[in-house]
Amino acid sequence: MARVFLENIVKRFGKVVAVDHINLEVHDKEFLVLLGPSGCGKTTTLRIIAGLEFPDEGRVYIDDKDVTDLEPKDRDVAMVFQNYALYPHLTVRDNIAFPLMIRRKQLGLTREEIYRRVLDVAKLLRIEELLDRKPGQLSGGQQQRVALARALIRRPKVWLMDEPLSNLDALLRLQMRAELKRLQREIGITTIYVTHDQAEAMSMADRIAVMNHGRIVQVGTPDDIYFRPRHVFVATFIGAPPMNIIRCITVLKNDKLYLSCPGMEREIPRGITKYLRGDMEILLGIRPEFVDVYKEPKPGAIRAKILVVEPQGSELILNLNISPESGEETIIKVKTRALRRYSPGEIVYLEPDWTRVSLFDAKTGKAIA
Amino acid sequence: MPRRRRTRLVLIFLLPELALILSFVLVPIIGTFIISFKTSHGYGVGNYYSVITERSPDRALVIPENIIKAQPPPWGALVHNIIWVAIHVPVVVFLGLTLAYLLRDVVGSSIVKSIMFLGMVIPMVVGGLLIRFMFDSDLGVIPVFLRELGIKSLAHTWTNYPQTALIALILGSVWLWTGFSLTVYAAALESLPKSYIEAARVDGASDFQIFFKVVFPLVKHATIIVVVMTMLWDLKIFDIVFVSTRGGPGGATNVMALVMYNYFARALDYGKSAATAVILALISLIPGIWFIRRVVRPSAEKR
Repeated sequence: MARVFLENIVKRFGKVVAVDHINLEVHDKEFLVLLGPSGCGKTTTLRIIAGLEFPDEGRVYIDDKDVTDLEPKDRDVAMVFQNYALYPHLTVRDNIAFPLMIRRKQLGLTREEIYRRVLDVAKLLRIEELLDRKPGQLSGGQQQRVALARALIRRPKVWLMDEPLSNLDALLRLQMRAELKRLQREIGITTIYVTHDQAEAMSMADRIAVMNHGRIVQVGTPDDIYFRPRHVFVATFIGAPPMNIIRCITVLKNDKLYLSCPGMEREIPRGITKYLRGDMEILLGIRPEFVDVYKEPKPGAIRAKILVVEPQGSELILNLNISPESGEETIIKVKTRALRRYSPGEIVYLEPDWTRVSLFDAKTGKAIA
Repeated sequence: MPRRRRTRLVLIFLLPELALILSFVLVPIIGTFIISFKTSHGYGVGNYYSVITERSPDRALVIPENIIKAQPPPWGALVHNIIWVAIHVPVVVFLGLTLAYLLRDVVGSSIVKSIMFLGMVIPMVVGGLLIRFMFDSDLGVIPVFLRELGIKSLAHTWTNYPQTALIALILGSVWLWTGFSLTVYAAALESLPKSYIEAARVDGASDFQIFFKVVFPLVKHATIIVVVMTMLWDLKIFDIVFVSTRGGPGGATNVMALVMYNYFARALDYGKSAATAVILALISLIPGIWFIRRVVRPSAEKR
């Protein structure tokens, strides 16, 4: 049972503002992912929650208790580090027992009780046959589980994870993703998870907080983040390949607003015209997945020339120039099922799903409506 | 490459080294060994017997208690070496690790470390002389300091009194040698991922527990290096004793290497000198072999 609340957190390292006025609430039993490129302040934010860094401004609350000035040990949090931080001189059993052993007297536990709890946790993570080994004799995935076990044994209020899967190979990472999610749900522990891997964030999180330049750009469910990005940064950070961004201008003609983009012009739906004027610079965002590709001309479709075809197995990624007539190139990527053959130089016709496009203000980067 | 040719190639490359080792390492060792068994009437263990049973303070390895009439020291050179190891090794380990740990993230710590390392850089003869100055009743920082504190009995020239001469040299060698320990530990701590200490902090360990349960075991490799190197240095210590006290007063600071030198350069008794050298070498082999087993060979096998 734990909620975490960050209020106006600021952290500077010299002149660099690593964390810039962050407000964030993490609900009880929630799996929240801090997602962002390296250097965006996500790890610093996590370390502030852990108590390994102290904020220059703002307060940290865990369960309505102000823990801003408390040492890590007094916060009842557990952290899993990127390199797992398993002690090479201790066996797996003693590594898992470490958090309890060092406070054995305060907790009033006997060694037998502690080892019994180690065994329980080890069973939960299916590592009971590894208990007598040293960390050096374990595979990456096994070390990962031991680190999780050590973070669990104390039954902490909050689990903090700093890119715990990034040292694993690709296949194991996919496997551990699901397992970690299952474990978190089973135990029902509030978890804050830092990653730069958007696929990891999308697949595990209850909610994602996307960070950039020390600020939280958007907080929302994976669906929100994917379908309704609030900022052009989120749109271009999420998705593989990310959202196509096309620079356009609004044009007022006969009392109607049009979006004039390279290679196309389109009337803007009534619903959002109230936010717009003529002659505004707009960024049109189209996800590569939401474009239909036709070989024959179609009314209203965008004429495009194929530049590169990237096969992905069941899918293809087409790199297209949507303004082949004008001298400039406006390149977008489109993901389509590999049902037909495409070749570079070919002309195709594109029909985006206009209900799923995003519009951003070119100046602020913020979503319109 | 065919195996035979490869073997031949390896031999060709090894040959110069082997020749150098043979002529400058193995031959002198074997020569010393032979000389140590050579007495005025043929070959035998006579030299060893007389070196070990020698009782005069400036040559004795061990002086039995019943012979020491006045207050000891001297106890004999070998005992002095052992006392040296017993005090010097733990103090250097403790100081080096503690300082390295405390200085690890401090601004300007590299300046402090450089000054500490100066003890390793200056020639040991200069170091020995400095130790003598340091403990001089008029010039020395320590007696002057003690006098200010009102401890008059220790405000004398330490190296002139048998009771304090040995400890003065040992303390001086701490000063000269802590830079080494500090440097080794600082490097070891540098290579230690920060997350080890941070994980312990999050898990609730106190600073004391972090130091003894996490940091100390994790730098075990460095500890082995420091302990062995310090032991070897202490066993073969010569220069600082030679320039500061010459083993005196009354043999109170005599050490093995100095005994060997005394037989060689003063008594011109090469047999006994060689016998002392062999004894010293055999004693030094104990930590040496342990070190090779523990550190050198395992890491060689990994490759």
